[in-house]
Amino acid sequence: MYEVTARFVAGRLLQVVPTVLAIVIISFLLAHLAPGDPVLALAGEHGDAAYYAFMRERFGLDQSLPRQLAIYVRQVATGDLGFSYVYGRDTLPVILERVPATILLTTTALFFSLLVAIPLGAIAAARPHGGRDIGISTMALGLYSTPAFWVAQLAILGLSLKLGIFPVQGMTSAGGDPAGLPRAWDVARHLALPALVLASQEIAVLVRVTRSTLLDELARDHIRTARAKGLGEARALVRHALPRAMLPVVSIVGARIGHLIAGASIVEIIFGWPGMGRLLLASLQSRDTPILLGIFLVVSLTVVLVNLLSDLAHAALDPRIRVR
Amino acid sequence: MYDTAGHRRRFSGLLLSILMCGSAACARERFTRDPATLVAAIAGDPGQLNPAITTNGGVHTAAGLLYDGLLALDDSLRPTPALAVRWDVEDGGARYRFHLRQGVRWHDGAPFLAADVVFTFEQMLLRYHARTRASMASSLLSVAAVDDSTVLFTFRRPYAPLLQQLDVSEAPILPAHLYAGRDPLRNPVNMAPVGTGPFRFVSYTPHSEIRYAVNDRYFRGPSALKAVVLRIIPDEDTQVAALEAGEVDWLFAVPGPARRRLAGDARVRLVRSALSAGGSNCITTLGFNLERAWFRDVRVRKAIAHAVNRPQFVERVLFGEGRAADAPISSGIAFAHASDIAVPAFDTVEAARLLEAAGWRRTDTGPRTARGVAGVQDGTRFTIGFKALPSQIVYGDLLRAQLRGVGIDLRPEPLEQAVFAASVFTARDFDTAIGAYCNGTDPEIGVRRMYVTSSIAPVPFSNMAGYRSTTMDSLFDRAGASIALSERRRLYHEIQALAVRDQPYVWLVETSNLRAHSARCHGFSGSSHFAATAACTK
Amino acid sequence: MLRGDVLRRPSGRLGVVLLAVALGMAIVGPVVAPYDPFAITGGSLTAPSVAHAMGTDSLGRDVLSAVLFGARTSLLVAFAVSAIALVFGTAIGLTAGYRGGYIDDMLMRTTELFQVIPRFFIAVVVIALFGPGLDRIILVLGFTSWPTLARVVRGEVIAMRDLDFVRAAVAIGAPSGHIVRRQLLPNLMPTVIVTLGLLFGQVLLLEASLGFLGLADPGAISWGMLAAQAHGFLRVAWWLALFPGLAITITVLGVNLLADAYAAALGRD
Repeated sequence: MYEVTARFVAGRLLQVVPTVLAIVIISFLLAHLAPGDPVLALAGEHGDAAYYAFMRERFGLDQSLPRQLAIYVRQVATGDLGFSYVYGRDTLPVILERVPATILLTTTALFFSLLVAIPLGAIAAARPHGGRDIGISTMALGLYSTPAFWVAQLAILGLSLKLGIFPVQGMTSAGGDPAGLPRAWDVARHLALPALVLASQEIAVLVRVTRSTLLDELARDHIRTARAKGLGEARALVRHALPRAMLPVVSIVGARIGHLIAGASIVEIIFGWPGMGRLLLASLQSRDTPILLGIFLVVSLTVVLVNLLSDLAHAALDPRIRVR
Repeated sequence: MYDTAGHRRRFSGLLLSILMCGSAACARERFTRDPATLVAAIAGDPGQLNPAITTNGGVHTAAGLLYDGLLALDDSLRPTPALAVRWDVEDGGARYRFHLRQGVRWHDGAPFLAADVVFTFEQMLLRYHARTRASMASSLLSVAAVDDSTVLFTFRRPYAPLLQQLDVSEAPILPAHLYAGRDPLRNPVNMAPVGTGPFRFVSYTPHSEIRYAVNDRYFRGPSALKAVVLRIIPDEDTQVAALEAGEVDWLFAVPGPARRRLAGDARVRLVRSALSAGGSNCITTLGFNLERAWFRDVRVRKAIAHAVNRPQFVERVLFGEGRAADAPISSGIAFAHASDIAVPAFDTVEAARLLEAAGWRRTDTGPRTARGVAGVQDGTRFTIGFKALPSQIVYGDLLRAQLRGVGIDLRPEPLEQAVFAASVFTARDFDTAIGAYCNGTDPEIGVRRMYVTSSIAPVPFSNMAGYRSTTMDSLFDRAGASIALSERRRLYHEIQALAVRDQPYVWLVETSNLRAHSARCHGFSGSSHFAATAACTK
Repeated sequence: MLRGDVLRRPSGRLGVVLLAVALGMAIVGPVVAPYDPFAITGGSLTAPSVAHAMGTDSLGRDVLSAVLFGARTSLLVAFAVSAIALVFGTAIGLTAGYRGGYIDDMLMRTTELFQVIPRFFIAVVVIALFGPGLDRIILVLGFTSWPTLARVVRGEVIAMRDLDFVRAAVAIGAPSGHIVRRQLLPNLMPTVIVTLGLLFGQVLLLEASLGFLGLADPGAISWGMLAAQAHGFLRVAWWLALFPGLAITITVLGVNLLADAYAAALGRD
C-alpha cells in the first residue's frame, strides 16, 4: 500500500511541471503584452528619454520579448524570480516574507468558517426546508452577498472603535517587541478581526456543501436501513452521515484555497495585514512585473500543493481512490 | 466515550477568558508604548529607503526624517540653512558656492564632508532622481568640492531655481563612504539607511512598520521624541479609525468624508501644509489634446472652461479642503501667482454661445453635433474621452455631469499609472485627461514642463496638451535665466496671460494637504522633517 | 408540474419574488428612474427624502436612479458569465467524466490550469493592465468560472456512470448521445443549478471588489460599483451603502433560494 501512495504522489507531482510552465509563460505574456510601460511608472512625474532608455537597459527591458521570456524561464528554473524594480532586491525573498502572514490569515479563516459552517450545515440538513434550514440559508447567503470591505468596516466600527475589543490594524502592536507567548497573544488579537471577516465570506459556501452532502448521505441505503431499525435521527446524522460527508468538504477546502488567498487581499488592505495579496495589488500599481509574476507562480504552486494534499486526505479517507 | 461535559466546560472557560480579555481587563494587559514614541501612518510600503534614487512619494515620505538637504524650506517655502550654513550666488546666478556646516556626523559616526555632496549629486541624484535630473542635468556643468566644507555648483547659464531644489525631498544628501563603488539600486544600505537627519534607522519590517530612533547628535539638537514608528496602513478609512482608536498619532492625509468628524473630535488636531513629499502646490488640471481636431478651435476650449463650475469641485470633490484655481500658477508660489488675471468664469450661456459659434449645434437635449467644424465630419456627436488615474476619476464624474448641461458627452476612463502615462504621454491617444500638476516651489520646477515645446515628450506629466508657442518658450527661457525676482514676476505674469488666452488647459482646483495628529502631540511642521520638532505627552 | 413543485416550497416562492424584483428593475428601471443617474440633481450627500427616495451621493447624483440603472449592467454581467460557465463547464465536465481515460486526463489538466490562479487575481490583473470595460469583465470572469462547474459535473458523471439506470442503458446498447441527454443531463441539473447560483452571487460581488480597487468602469453603473463608491462614506452616508447592497443581497438570495427549490423539486432531496 505504501508504494501505491508514493507512486500516486510522484505521478501527481510530475503533472505539476507542465501546469506551472504554462502559468509562467501565460502570465509573462499577459504582463508584457499589456499596454503601459513599467519604466514610466517607475520614473514617476519627471524624467527624459535618456533616463528611460537607461532604466530600460538596467532592468533588461530593452531586449526583445522572446528573449526576455527565454531569460525569465531560465531564471525561474533555477529558482531566481528576477530583480524587483521597486524593492531593489531579489523578488523571491520579497514574496516569501509575506507568505507566513497570508498562511496564518487564510488557515485561521478556514478554521473559523469550518467551525461555524459544519454545525450550521448539520442543523440545516436535519430538517430540510424547515424554518431553521431557510433561516440558516438566508443568513449565510446574506453574509455571502455583503461585500467583504463593508463587513470589515462594520467590524472595525463595532468591535474596535465602539467596544475596544480588537485592534484596528496591523499584525503586531506598533513599536512593540514582545517575544514568545506575549507575542503570540499580540498576533492573535490582531488576527481575530481580519480572520473573522474573511471567514464570513467562506461560511455560506461551506454551509451549503455540508448541508447538501449530508442530505445525500442521509438518503443512502445503509443509513435508511439503520434508521428503519430505530437509529435516532440526530445519531444517524452525527455518527453516520457526518464523517462521510467530510469527504466532499475536504476537497472543497482544497479547491477554495486559491479563492481564499485572493479574497484575503482586500481584507489585507483594510486591516493593514502584511500579506501577499496586498503585495500583488501594490505591484500592479507600480507595474513591478517581477513581483507580479512571482506571486502568480507562488500562488499557483500553493494551490497545486494544497490540492495534492487534499487529494491525499481524500485518498486516506476513501481507499477506493488509490485504485484508480 | 469521552467526558463531553468536562470538555464543554473547558471550552466555555477558554471562550470566557477570550471575551473578558478582549474588553477592559486585557486593554491594560496590552502592550503600552512609550509616550515619547510617535506612530505615524503611511499608505504604502516604500520598498527601500534611499530617496536619492527615486521620486516615489512613498519613499520620500518614509525616508525624509533620516536625511538632510543642503538647504531646507520654511513654511512659506523660503530656503533656510541645513547642511549648508551659507551660500554665495556668483556670476549672475551661474555659479553657487555652498559653505557646509562643520562637525556634522553621519548616523554611523563618520564625518559629513563636501565629497558626500558631490558623490550624491553625480552618482545618484543626477542619474536616478528623475525630477532633479530633468531640471538640472542639462544646465549643470559641474559639482565640485573646493575643500572639505565647500561645494561649488557651476551652470552653463544663469540658473534661477537652484535654491528651491536643494531641500531634503528634492536633493537629499547620502553618505559616499557607504555607496561609493557599488550599484546604488542594489546596495543593501538602501534597506538599512544611514543619514544625517533628526532620526536614525532602527528596523524595517516590510508591509508592517519602519522604526526610527532619535539622533542624539543632530546638528539642530535632538528631538523631544525618542522614537518614530511608521506604520504601513493602505486603506485611508482604516488610518482614520486607527487614529481614533489611539493606535496611530499622525496621518499624512485625511479623507474628505472624515474631515468634519475629525475636526469636531477633541482627541484630534488638524494641520494644513503646502508641502508634500510628492510635490507641493498642486493644481488639478484638465488638459486638452490639441492634436485632436475638436480642440484646435480656442472657442471650444474656452467654452469648456466656462462650463466648468470650479467652486462645485471644491465643495463636492475636495469637501471644502482646497480652493478654486484662479490662475495657471499656484497661489502657493506667491511671487509668480497672477491673482489679478481673469480666467473664464462659470457661465453656461457663454459656453453655449461659443460652442454654437464654433459649429457645434444643439438640436435636442443630447450631445451637440458638428456642422462646419474644421476637420470634423458633419453630424459627428460631441462625445469625448477623459482619462484619469483611478484616484482622480471622481473629477471625471463631476465634469461629466457639468458638461452634460452644455451638450458635451464626457466619458471618463480610469487607468492605472503605467497605462495612463503610456496612453496619454507616449501614444498621445486621448481627447482630454486630468493630472495633479504640482507646481513645486518655483515655476521652473513644475510649471515650465506644462507649456514649453521641448517637453512634448513621452514623460509623465509633461506638456500634456501638446501646446506649442515660440513666444511661450522664449518667455520661460528668460524667466528661468533671470535671478531678479521682480523681473521673474513680470515674466511669469506674462506667461499666465498667454496661457489663459490660449487655454490649453483648464485649471480646476488647488489642492492642499491636510494632516491630522492626536491631541497628545504638538509642534509638527509641514516639511519632510514633520516630526523633528514635535513632542508628545501621555 | 415542476413549476408547481418549485412554487410549493416557501424558499421557491420567496426566491421567485426576489428575483422578479431584480429582473423588474433591470427591465423597466431606466424608464421609471426619476432622474438621469449621471446628472447632478441635488445637494451633496443628502439623506433620503421625498425628492430623492434613496438620497444623493457626494456629487449630488440621485442614488435611486443609479440603483435602477445599475440593475441592467449587474444582471447582464452575472447572466453572461453564468451562461459562459454553464456551456463550457457542463460540456467539458460531461466529456471528461463520460469518456474517461486520456481525454479525461487532458481536459482535467486544462481545467486545473485555469483554476490554479485565483479568479479574482486574474480579473484584477487583466482589468488593471488593459483598462476597465464590461466586455473584459464578462470574458475574464466567464473563462475563469467554468472550471469549478466542470469539476463538479465530472464528479457527478463519474458517480452516475456506475449507477444502475445508466448501466442498464449502456447494456441495452443505447447510443452515447441518448444516454447523455436522457440519463445524465437531467440528473446533473440540480448540481449545476446550485453551483451556478453561488457563481451568480460571486460575480455581483467581484464587481464590487474591483470597484473597491478603483477598477470599475465609470461609464456603466453597476450595483457593485455603487457599493464600492459607498466605501469611503460608510460613516457619513449610510444610504449610499445600504441600497445598492440590498439590491445585491435580494438578487443573490433570490437566485440561490430558487436554485435550492428547483434542485429539491428535481428530486435532489
